[in-house]
Amino acid sequence: MEPRVQETEFKIPKIGIYTGKGASHSWLWFVEIFERLGFYNLCFLTEFDLVSDSLEKVDVLAVSGGDTFAIAEALGPQGAKQLKTFITRGGLYLGSCAGAYLPLNSSKEHLNHFNFVPAKITNLTKTLPESHGMKEKLCTCYGCSFIFHAVREAVEVTTSGLPPFGESATFTAPLYGGPPMTVTNPASVMATYTAFTDKTLFLVDRELAEKTLLGNAAVIREKMGHGHLHLFGPHFEHPHFGEANLFLANAMMLDLPHQTVPSETPENGMAILAGSKKKGFIRDFKRELSNSRIVAAGLEMIPLKWTIGSKIYETGKIRVFLEALWQRIRSFETSGFILVRADEVDHLVQTALHVTKNIRQIKKGWDRKMDTLATATALFNLLNKTSALFLEIYFRSKLFHADSAKVRMLRRPGQFRKIEYERFHGQIKKMVA
Amino acid sequence: MEYLASDKIAIVDLNTRDIIEDELDEDLVLDKIGGAGITKHLYDQHSAGNPIVLGTGLLTGTLVPGASLGIMTAKSPSTGKVSHVPLNLDAGMELKYSGFDYIVIKGSADKPVYLWIHDGILDINDAGDLWGKDTWAATDHIRDEMGDDLIQVLCIGQAGEKASDLAQIGINYWQSADRFGFGRLCGEKNLKLIAIRGMGLLEISEPEAFVEDCAELIAAIRSNNNTQKQGIAAVSAALGEEDLSDWLSPLTHRHMACFNTPVATNTFLFTDEDPALLEETTVTEPGFLFTDIFPLVVLKKAGLSAKDAGLVLKACAKYGIDGAAVAELSAKSGLTSPEEIEKTFPDLKGPVESTGKSVFSPWAAMGQDINANWERRQAVAYILGLHPIWLQMATDLTEKKLLDLAGLGTEMEFTPDTLDEVIGDILA
Repeated sequence: MEPRVQETEFKIPKIGIYTGKGASHSWLWFVEIFERLGFYNLCFLTEFDLVSDSLEKVDVLAVSGGDTFAIAEALGPQGAKQLKTFITRGGLYLGSCAGAYLPLNSSKEHLNHFNFVPAKITNLTKTLPESHGMKEKLCTCYGCSFIFHAVREAVEVTTSGLPPFGESATFTAPLYGGPPMTVTNPASVMATYTAFTDKTLFLVDRELAEKTLLGNAAVIREKMGHGHLHLFGPHFEHPHFGEANLFLANAMMLDLPHQTVPSETPENGMAILAGSKKKGFIRDFKRELSNSRIVAAGLEMIPLKWTIGSKIYETGKIRVFLEALWQRIRSFETSGFILVRADEVDHLVQTALHVTKNIRQIKKGWDRKMDTLATATALFNLLNKTSALFLEIYFRSKLFHADSAKVRMLRRPGQFRKIEYERFHGQIKKMVA
Repeated sequence: MEYLASDKIAIVDLNTRDIIEDELDEDLVLDKIGGAGITKHLYDQHSAGNPIVLGTGLLTGTLVPGASLGIMTAKSPSTGKVSHVPLNLDAGMELKYSGFDYIVIKGSADKPVYLWIHDGILDINDAGDLWGKDTWAATDHIRDEMGDDLIQVLCIGQAGEKASDLAQIGINYWQSADRFGFGRLCGEKNLKLIAIRGMGLLEISEPEAFVEDCAELIAAIRSNNNTQKQGIAAVSAALGEEDLSDWLSPLTHRHMACFNTPVATNTFLFTDEDPALLEETTVTEPGFLFTDIFPLVVLKKAGLSAKDAGLVLKACAKYGIDGAAVAELSAKSGLTSPEEIEKTFPDLKGPVESTGKSVFSPWAAMGQDINANWERRQAVAYILGLHPIWLQMATDLTEKKLLDLAGLGTEMEFTPDTLDEVIGDILA
């Protein structure tokens, strides 16, 4: 007999997304999945926000890919303490790739402040394996050892089917350096790596890749105090992997805090930008976005990349930021008004202007055979800042227009197996057991 | 206007620096179809400002073979007629994807300016640094400043700045088919150049059927011998002009087609480097891209070698002066040395026979009479956005097929009667 489905009022959680030092472009994938789910109550947090009291105002913190060492160093012991408090009081930590490595037990400087999860990684070695391709992506130094990345791109994962998920499912998700893990408690494993796909790119010998990944945990779920950590080796939030997105969303719904942070009214303390002022802002911002994306598209045709911290950045990553904003600016053009704080608009246009200058500087540097590392480092920092600032305004306005905090959901207490949502309209329709 | 368009017309007033943006009205498209049909309409609407109107056809930038054409429409300072200059290579395609369907540039600026058209944004920028530069230096400067080598630059040189009757607006580094003195018009407006780059997208009403029809057209065209020609010499011969193959071949480096055009109508000659070189040249300016049959033929008849013809036309392109007019006037005065010919540029004056007689550039029509059939075929190319030389050669591209494709792409209906009326308007 089908269990009874209840319709209950559901409060959209407030979700913080880490965009600070060490964050690469992949946090934008979290933005996309949350937007598709109708979770517009987003905020974008840097290392400075995390060491202060910003985590008190969110229900969920998502930390995506990037440079784990840089993130750990930027957050420091104070950030670790805040993070621990956030989780133990009931918050949900979603870590993907670098964000998954961060809370794993480690004795290394900076990382040792984040010993929250007693899992081990299986891609740690003292002897670096022979590279079978993409040598620059093969490894990261880890003290006297190396963290090596056996494969990249799509791999097959199988979910454990443990309660409350009910039954096992197999699908693909992309791996870009995230961890394969082992845990002592099998109940912590939400999904394991089970096979490679025809899209999998081997960076080491296949036999070693199989030994490193297959049968090991791809996703783990750990309880800490009243809260939880979900750690994803592959990027389950990548927008091209629908089933992985669904699993991530389901898992998130399972462990949302019972008592969410109080809602803020989005229009509080905001000015309404409409008419010619809104038009002027959009034109100025769009001008710089266009200038930047034109140069960025050209840069993708040249063999230029940078090592920033312990992370490789290709020119193609620049446009991931720019396109994320470009796709969304249309909604500003069609909406009646947008909600902004004082000086926010000028600040956004100025940072966009600096992005253009930096990208053009990189092109000139390439043409003149000059070193562009410092400019690229500044550029990615600016891209994170500009994107976060724009998206803050975007989601604030969208939240106000959509009033999505009042979305009603069908739920059966304690059991969620499937979330159905309208892909582009971003509102959860129902959850079905 | 939802399909095959950006739905935006910009009206730029250089006097006041005001820019007004209008939507592209579907009724206007139903009435005038597009391309020269609408640029002429907009010219008439804003004639008091002596405008230059830029635009593209409905099919420009699509998969229809030869869909490369942008159009520049203005009143010719040389003939006094409202005339149309073809914008080829990648200029028409970039204009199509720039976020504007049509741009009206009226009035004149009080100091040198340039327009930067990109992704639905139109900027009027100061051109103080550019004024006085030749077209090559100006193109390099703008691409370097903007950080992109794919920017298409419609540019005048010193000839335009000095308001020479023979001034031409060039496309990037190369000569255009401007045989109407539009370069002078730009100079009088203090408009040094127009830089265009677009990363927009076009919506097609029936995309699968549209692509299928285009594929069928390409297959049909492949069986037509006339459309297998490659290079300016072969095209010249196919159009009934003198075969230039023997003359050009020792220096020929490569042929180059305009955007999505099956026939390569342009040929790059190495005038300053070994054309058989199989490695990247180290010479800064190894040669010249011949985009125009007309001056080549005249220079050959005047007894110049292909290399000297190349040197003369390279100098013309940089100075922004019509190569055909220079060729004609040099031939009349018996000059054959490139250096001597170049020295005449500042004081060169018409009249010249090569000035456009029709309202369309006599680009490849030297060996052909400018008759009603030629004009009609040109008009169809300029209205729908197809390469005019290519359309002259591609007899498989019938008016009916092209109108059907425009209808398929836009969900609108265009009848032969409407086309007749639009052609009548343009030629009136």
